[in-house]
Amino acid sequence: MDNLPRFPKCYKAESKPHKFCPGCGHPIVLKMLGQVIDEMGIADKVVFMVDIGCSLLAWDYFDLPTTQTHHGRTVPTAVGFKLADPEKIVIAYVGDGGAYAIGLQHTLTTCLRNNPITTIVVNNTVYAMTGGQLAPTTVDNEITTTTPAGKTEFTTLKGPELLKTIAGKEAYIARGTTDKPLVLKQYLKKAIETQIQGNFSLVEAVSACPVNWKTDAPKTIQRIQELEKEFQLGEF
Amino acid sequence: MKQFLMGNQVLAKAALDAGAKMMFGYPITPSTEILETWAKFCLKDKSLSLLQTEDEMAAGFGVIGSCLAGVPAFTATAGPGNILMQDAFVMAEALRIPMVSMIMQRGGMSTSTVIYSQEEVRLTCFGGNSEGFRIVYSTSNLQELYDYTLKAFQVAWKYRWPTFILADGYQGKMQGEVEIMDNGEWRMENLKSILTKGVNLRNCYNLEEEIGEIIVNYSDEYNKVRGGIEEYEEYQVKDAKIVLIAHGIVAAAAKVAVDELRKRGGSIGLFRPITLRPFPVQAATKILNKAEKIIVLESAIGQLAELFKAELFGLNTTLIEINKPAVGFTPEEIVKTIKSFQ
Amino acid sequence: MIKILITGEGGQGVQAIAKILAKAAFLEGKRALYIPNFGVEQRGGVSLAFVVVDEKPVVYPKFAKADILAVLSQRSWERIKNYIGLQTKIIKGPAVEGGKSSNLPPKVWNVVVLGKINKLGKVVSQENLIKALEKRFAKQFEKNPDLRKLDISALTEV
Repeated sequence: MDNLPRFPKCYKAESKPHKFCPGCGHPIVLKMLGQVIDEMGIADKVVFMVDIGCSLLAWDYFDLPTTQTHHGRTVPTAVGFKLADPEKIVIAYVGDGGAYAIGLQHTLTTCLRNNPITTIVVNNTVYAMTGGQLAPTTVDNEITTTTPAGKTEFTTLKGPELLKTIAGKEAYIARGTTDKPLVLKQYLKKAIETQIQGNFSLVEAVSACPVNWKTDAPKTIQRIQELEKEFQLGEF
Repeated sequence: MKQFLMGNQVLAKAALDAGAKMMFGYPITPSTEILETWAKFCLKDKSLSLLQTEDEMAAGFGVIGSCLAGVPAFTATAGPGNILMQDAFVMAEALRIPMVSMIMQRGGMSTSTVIYSQEEVRLTCFGGNSEGFRIVYSTSNLQELYDYTLKAFQVAWKYRWPTFILADGYQGKMQGEVEIMDNGEWRMENLKSILTKGVNLRNCYNLEEEIGEIIVNYSDEYNKVRGGIEEYEEYQVKDAKIVLIAHGIVAAAAKVAVDELRKRGGSIGLFRPITLRPFPVQAATKILNKAEKIIVLESAIGQLAELFKAELFGLNTTLIEINKPAVGFTPEEIVKTIKSFQ
Repeated sequence: MIKILITGEGGQGVQAIAKILAKAAFLEGKRALYIPNFGVEQRGGVSLAFVVVDEKPVVYPKFAKADILAVLSQRSWERIKNYIGLQTKIIKGPAVEGGKSSNLPPKVWNVVVLGKINKLGKVVSQENLIKALEKRFAKQFEKNPDLRKLDISALTEV
């Protein structure tokens, strides 16, 4: 028991146990983020913002100044805050819908402007909180409640690849997975360092949603590993 | 110091003198000069900044972000932009963000004209999925664009409701003399950040009762403080048999008409609400109760009237509504119209 | 109080002379309110300018009938018919008169009209009108001093 890593110090104890579903990828991403914040000693500088969607369940996750925003508007709120108080480290924590659908133009424009905020996109290929509808990152033939015959409608959106075509040279863009948390952790650390240097950063974390995928534990892990073939991992 | 300025320039200058440090905005006629004037200010003063956003939603939320950091910020928009900004405005209601917004009403209904109307009253006062926990000042001349913008920032940061200057394209584009303060006495400074350690804000809740309680608390608080915020102007109403009700620049024209009609022996006055939210209901009822006829004049269909009509229920006065959606009233035509009712 | 309405094609300089007149009134210590009226097009289309000058503060920038109406283009007649009252005095710009009423080049015809408005309405002193004109065109006059001479003579053309 003594060998288990402790909760990140920046966690808010009162909000634990958390409200995420069993098997959800969010707690893994949040724990890695918490560890990075602890290790970098930046808890007094971080401002955390969450979107509508499952990310909102993290509104009281950390003992950090946090606000939840309207859907897709986390990034512009973060930009406003960062411009007003550049000393803070502002993190926009969103899902695939907030980053790539309703908030897509904010994601793109913020990258174009090289605003130094860090966006973390938790990508589970569906709109989970609302019950599993089509998302920009739903893969071909994936069955969702709004693509019951399997998605064929439009091309799967590859966020980091898209941003790479418009990002400045100093921006940091990466894609990790909750299946390899320590690698993801490195990406998160680099993303925050990039913000401190004054540049845009975005890390997408391919994540699991067993409830909406309707998968048991082994199938969930299998699915995530299949997604890793669809969504290229690494730094862009 | 007297200066000769365009309304939109006055608004930007007032925001500057009030202590605003940031403007977020998207160009839209007839508000665009506010953005452009602020951009010129930023050239001279490096402590100021401007972000022209990708759309009005980003502008509204950008202002919220800045306010969360304790830095006064504002935006300006009109018409379709006002609609997109409701997303941000209602979140500001919920999170008690002191954002200040200038609404330069243009033609109503869709993109309409870029010129003028009073058709954004309902939208600006109650445009969120909410109970309208907002403060809305309806200005009627260039000097008020300046004075009430200074006030709007003070009131927003004191009471923590999103606060609006509701003007229109006529006020924004007209040019004339304004008295500008040059001693900085209205400048807000050393404001505290809202998002600090220990603060976790949300606007999404789990149970009906949770949010129900919060809305009731907000409503109680709003009603408790409204007396200190409500403003109105009464002009020649004391013995008036006919009382006109108008807001904004229509009230300015109505005042001229009242003078003219009084000269011709008419018994007429004007009640002008200055805050549309909170509406000065008690003051209005007291004055309107004494009149025989109440005539509402607005460049919309009933948007001003519905703010107070319910309060008149049971009173012994006749209510006449003169609606000219998206079209202005000259003083001469108000005189003509009123004479036909005498 | 004097109510002036100026109308013409977008690009004829209607707004410029309206602004100069209003600014001149401000310099003179009078009260004035100016407001443009226009559509969405950046160029072309009919342009209207309202100027109200008075000794006391002007409360409303528009009016039903003009005291002085200056028309710079034939096409704009249609737009302003309703503003003509029994007392309205009408000034026609050189373009409406086929260019016959002015010896100066078209680019200053709007200033010609401005001079006529001020003469007819006795709105402001010539001195303040010139001051306001010079303020507005300061950059252009600096680049081209002949322009200043041209504009001043336009202001005083009878």
